[in-house]
Amino acid sequence: MFLDLEHLTMRFGGVVAVNDVTLSIGRGEIHGLIGPNGSGKTTIFNVVSGYYKPTSGKISFEGAQISGLPAHQITGRGFARTFQNLRLFKSMTVLDNVLVGMERHTKTSLWRAMLDPVATQREDKLLTEKAMSLLNLFGIAEFAHARATSLPYGNQRRVEMARALATDPKIVLLDEPASGLNETETDALRETLLKIRDSGVTIFIVEHDMKLVKSVCDSITVLDYGKKIAEGCYADVSRDQVVIEAYLGKEEDL
Amino acid sequence: MNINTVSIFLQTIVGGIGIGSLYALVALGYSMQYRSMGLVNFAQGSIYMIGTYFGIIWYQGMVMGLQVPYPIAFLIGIVLNMGLGLILERIFRPLANLDLMLMLLGTIGLGYVLDNMAIITWGAEGFAVKSPLPNTPIIIGGVALLPQMLLLIGVSAILMVGLTVFLSKAKIGKAMRAAASDRETASAMGIPVNTTNAVSFAIGCGLAAAAGILAAPIVYVNPAMGGPVGLKGFAAFILGGAGSIPGAIVGGLVFGVLEAVSAGFVSSAYTKGIAFVVMVVVLMFRPGGIVGEVTVDKV
Repeated sequence: MFLDLEHLTMRFGGVVAVNDVTLSIGRGEIHGLIGPNGSGKTTIFNVVSGYYKPTSGKISFEGAQISGLPAHQITGRGFARTFQNLRLFKSMTVLDNVLVGMERHTKTSLWRAMLDPVATQREDKLLTEKAMSLLNLFGIAEFAHARATSLPYGNQRRVEMARALATDPKIVLLDEPASGLNETETDALRETLLKIRDSGVTIFIVEHDMKLVKSVCDSITVLDYGKKIAEGCYADVSRDQVVIEAYLGKEEDL
Repeated sequence: MNINTVSIFLQTIVGGIGIGSLYALVALGYSMQYRSMGLVNFAQGSIYMIGTYFGIIWYQGMVMGLQVPYPIAFLIGIVLNMGLGLILERIFRPLANLDLMLMLLGTIGLGYVLDNMAIITWGAEGFAVKSPLPNTPIIIGGVALLPQMLLLIGVSAILMVGLTVFLSKAKIGKAMRAAASDRETASAMGIPVNTTNAVSFAIGCGLAAAAGILAAPIVYVNPAMGGPVGLKGFAAFILGGAGSIPGAIVGGLVFGVLEAVSAGFVSSAYTKGIAFVVMVVVLMFRPGGIVGEVTVDKV
């Protein structure tokens, strides 16, 4: 498959945050990762993007093992992500935030910038145009020169997604992109997610908004207490007795 | 005020700006290291001293009797000190994640190591450095200016502007700003954070060397020269706003001018006292420093 997690386990001292999780994501699909709070979803994201080294298990991407690589190299393989709590570069403008995402594709070294200012300027212009078209995709081009953190919450989320896409990824990891958004904003997000997928980028998404999950995810993995308890399409998963119990508690508990 | 008082005042201010440029360059070193690694490096004074030697030994003919011209010695010193910075960054890296007390001990300890290495290599005795420029003051409007002081102010200004442009324009400059702002997010953007930190650290060491080599003909070069400058550079770094680039520059200049004015018009015995009292008072009203990075709360 495109991205494979095999028997992934992440332990912090005595706590097993992720317990023997195996899952596969196909190229070009939107894969949802759901589960109650504290079930290990964000930990999986952090392991996949290289912030934690898994205690055991293996992650491979396009057939090559990536677990254990440092975060910036994993990004270099074509990963991008957003964060559950917004993490924009505070002192930068919206445009600069997106441009940082493009850094890894620029050829301009310091020496070249000094020796060949014309080519550098041409490249700068090209990058800025590309960044602006991304901002356009998210409908926030008018704020390009505003300080990123001065924008309202929903727009900051859009900046974060634009920045993630700016790295030109093969797969994006979105950690609760709909949290804090109102219904109209969530509808716009749905459109954007489908647009991103149709442009050929695979999406791995953690989300609590089940309406959104239902309408965009091609397949879903359900976690509870760090363990995988179900997988499949939304219709199957939502009827699964174990999943219903994980979310609502067992009948005798009620 | 008669004309004489005015010119003495101007003279004092220019002297303050000169010594302030020195503090500003050292403060920029603190800032570069603090914003990238979250490390307050109390070995900065010693790094400044080593950097001075790294350049001046060539100029003084202390290396195999070679007599290297001042500008070239200046560049050699900066490059060597940046190299030292790359090594030191690797040593300090584990310290950056520890708590403040351990960071203090670790960096102060390494400062002692550097000081003593200098004593072993170059001797505990210092020496005066002959000025590469004529020692006769240039008189402009009744103000006598030492050419070396003008060189110090001029080159410092170029370095400060250069650093600011580098951080805002160059590719790695932007990456360094991103890494300083949020380490994890920057690595998610594909930025090799350890590399950008090493570059920040090395730049800080290079600036310290530049400051020391420029000041060498005015001060007395010896292995203990780093202590007071390191302390005042630190004060300037805090006064301007920890981690802020313009803050370090403003802090350094303000501190230098304060020192000169208090020495010239009150008493040189109180110089340090007055400058530090002002620092404490400023921090009481503006804990973030004069410039201090502005953080905007979520709307």
